Amino acid sequence: MPLEPFKTSAALSMGVELELQLVNPTDFDLTAASSDMLFLLERASFPGDVKPEITESMIEIATDVHIRHGALLEQLRRMRDALVRAGDRLNVGLCGGGTHPFQRWFDQRIFAKPRFEEISVLYGYLAKQFTVFGQHVHIGCPSADEALYLLHALNRYVPHFIALSASSPYSQGVDTLFDSARLNSVFAFPLSGRAPFILQWAKFEADYFAKMETTGVVKSMKDFYWDIRPKPEYGTIELRVCDTPLSVERAAAIAGYFQSLCRMLLAREEPAPVEDDYLVYHYNRFQACRFGLDGIMVHPRTHQNISLREDILATLRCLAPHAAVLDAQAALDEIHDVARSENHAQWLRRLGQVSGPAGMVEGAVSRFRKGAEK
Amino acid sequence: MPVSIDLLTSDILWPLALLLAWVGGEFGYRWLGLPRISSYGITGFLLAQSQFGFLPNPSGGPVASLADFAFALILFELGYRINLRWLRANPWLGVTSLVESAATFVAVFAVARLFGVELAPSLLLAALAMATSPAAILRVANELHGAGQVTERTLHLSAFSCLLTVVAFKVIAGYWVLSSAGGFFEAIWASVVVVAVSAGLGALFGVLVAGLLRQTDNPGHAATIVFALAVLLLTTLTTAFKFSPLLAAIAFGMVARHRRVVLTPAQRNFGVLGDLLTVLLFVFVAATIDWRQVVVGIELALAVVAARLLSKTAATTAFARLSGITWRKGFLTGLALTPQSVFVILLLEQSRHLDIGWVSDMAGLAALVLLLEIIGPLVTRWALLRAGEAHPARRG
Repeated sequence: MPLEPFKTSAALSMGVELELQLVNPTDFDLTAASSDMLFLLERASFPGDVKPEITESMIEIATDVHIRHGALLEQLRRMRDALVRAGDRLNVGLCGGGTHPFQRWFDQRIFAKPRFEEISVLYGYLAKQFTVFGQHVHIGCPSADEALYLLHALNRYVPHFIALSASSPYSQGVDTLFDSARLNSVFAFPLSGRAPFILQWAKFEADYFAKMETTGVVKSMKDFYWDIRPKPEYGTIELRVCDTPLSVERAAAIAGYFQSLCRMLLAREEPAPVEDDYLVYHYNRFQACRFGLDGIMVHPRTHQNISLREDILATLRCLAPHAAVLDAQAALDEIHDVARSENHAQWLRRLGQVSGPAGMVEGAVSRFRKGAEK
Repeated sequence: MPVSIDLLTSDILWPLALLLAWVGGEFGYRWLGLPRISSYGITGFLLAQSQFGFLPNPSGGPVASLADFAFALILFELGYRINLRWLRANPWLGVTSLVESAATFVAVFAVARLFGVELAPSLLLAALAMATSPAAILRVANELHGAGQVTERTLHLSAFSCLLTVVAFKVIAGYWVLSSAGGFFEAIWASVVVVAVSAGLGALFGVLVAGLLRQTDNPGHAATIVFALAVLLLTTLTTAFKFSPLLAAIAFGMVARHRRVVLTPAQRNFGVLGDLLTVLLFVFVAATIDWRQVVVGIELALAVVAARLLSKTAATTAFARLSGITWRKGFLTGLALTPQSVFVILLLEQSRHLDIGWVSDMAGLAALVLLLEIIGPLVTRWALLRAGEAHPARRG
């Protein structure tokens, strides 16, 4: 199957997907509840899109396409309220967080759907280990070449999104010392990592995708688990490094920050990306996963050490005019607060030290609900 | 020396029976896919002296006390899994529970009267039939690693039906004591006070133990032992003062949960301790049954089983959509509620002091208990499998 044509979409339009955890309110372990949840959600009109994910204890929601942060946030809140209501009727807790702190991967059940079963057979225990929960943000691109330009221009900013969204400090019952342990799971897949450095869509299609396809390793773009990947059927690029935050407010703020950043990059306010930018890419990515906002990254051009916190705050200053045009100041304000204080991983870790892994999930459940109860 | 050999043989009877039951459980599970507890029941019944075996009727003995403890642990765990907030968020669940129990009471009462059973025994039989025994349900659900609406609802409905049964049973028994031999005071004591004090004691334990655990640094692993010891104390205490250990254990679990000390998944079933005591519990229950009584009451028992199955599935199916699940899952929930035996036997065992021993010999009861002890877990297992709520690796 050749690569489908890249659809054009409204520039800087955005959409958010969130993978959420379904937990049992007694012991706070993951619970196989997605079929029951989907049955209930499909009966009422759900304000958005909801679908199953690979294991039965996961559910994925997606917003419509939005231009404004405010409208995106409003829809996410309505979706959150509908989910919480359904969960209450079925005695199921919902929460964000990139990993479940103590679930055992071999306990997970694969959702009965051909694609998921194929993946499960192909990847074996990796598929169940893939019981991790991410936020994906789509940004609309005016053309396929612009999409590839944007994808690579973002390389130096990927650690920002890892650190800001990080919410997976624990895995399999222990403190991993990482802020985002989730990305380590994603990294185990053979087709994860970064996209090859090609800036023209025609070339990407002929020189890379077609060749990969003849190897038989991939069939479609879906088989790549890159940090950022083009999504031709939507006409977007998709940022995939974020953990699902503990609140929809934080998820919307990250999307708003991403949108403003893309606007700045598409305005060519920075020098164009080059292949050598990727020399420091994996190192910076590790710093963000491991130390979160306290990570120290290497600037790809100047090779200076800069703290992630400082770099985010500096970026926020550059983004102010773009956010003003996009009406996204509220999002940037929240990101500013995070960069000045702590991300959700640090909040969870503090909670875990006091009340243990199950207490972390309980905290995450009530943090997700907050706002739904007002 | 014949005396010591006698002593020796009588002492090894129970350990031997338990070992045989365990072996039977493992092979029955592997070869026939039979829930282990069904095999324990079959073994216990066959080994009883009244049948072909060597086990004396254990009623009233030390084995009975151990069985009380075993069941109290299960009730505690059940109480711990009950989320009272769910009733508020989904009132139809409460409606289902009340209708399901009431319909069963009425249906079984009608059947008993039809069979010519007298008024008081009919009422008691109807009260006992309301209960769904959590022992079988929790064991089967844990054996399958079940998770989903049928599993959750079956557990909750089972707990509520047990509470309703204890209350109804005590009130009817109290009424009966009043209307025949005893005095007014004895009747009140037998019902209202017993119910209130048992639940109160359990709740008090919940508050105290949860508070104690909050003071310890390691709530995860300490919890299993502390809860088990507290259940033991609570059971002996309530038995000694003739309150209801069943009610107290459920109340303990429910309060401990809502005081929020989290059980880790490893502690389900109380680990090996729970597994061991479960063998004893199910062997004990079946060993109290005499085949002669089974034969006498078999028609009535079959009719009661049918009435009970019908009323429970009708109620859970009727309210399925209103309470947020498919008709199919509603129906399967009703089926999963079939087990009954352990709860009934222990409730009667603990009510001996009320001088209603004749209830145990009541027509139909022995056959009912035996039927459901063996068939009940099978039906529950089948319902959970059909609902797709068993873990694939446990489907067997």
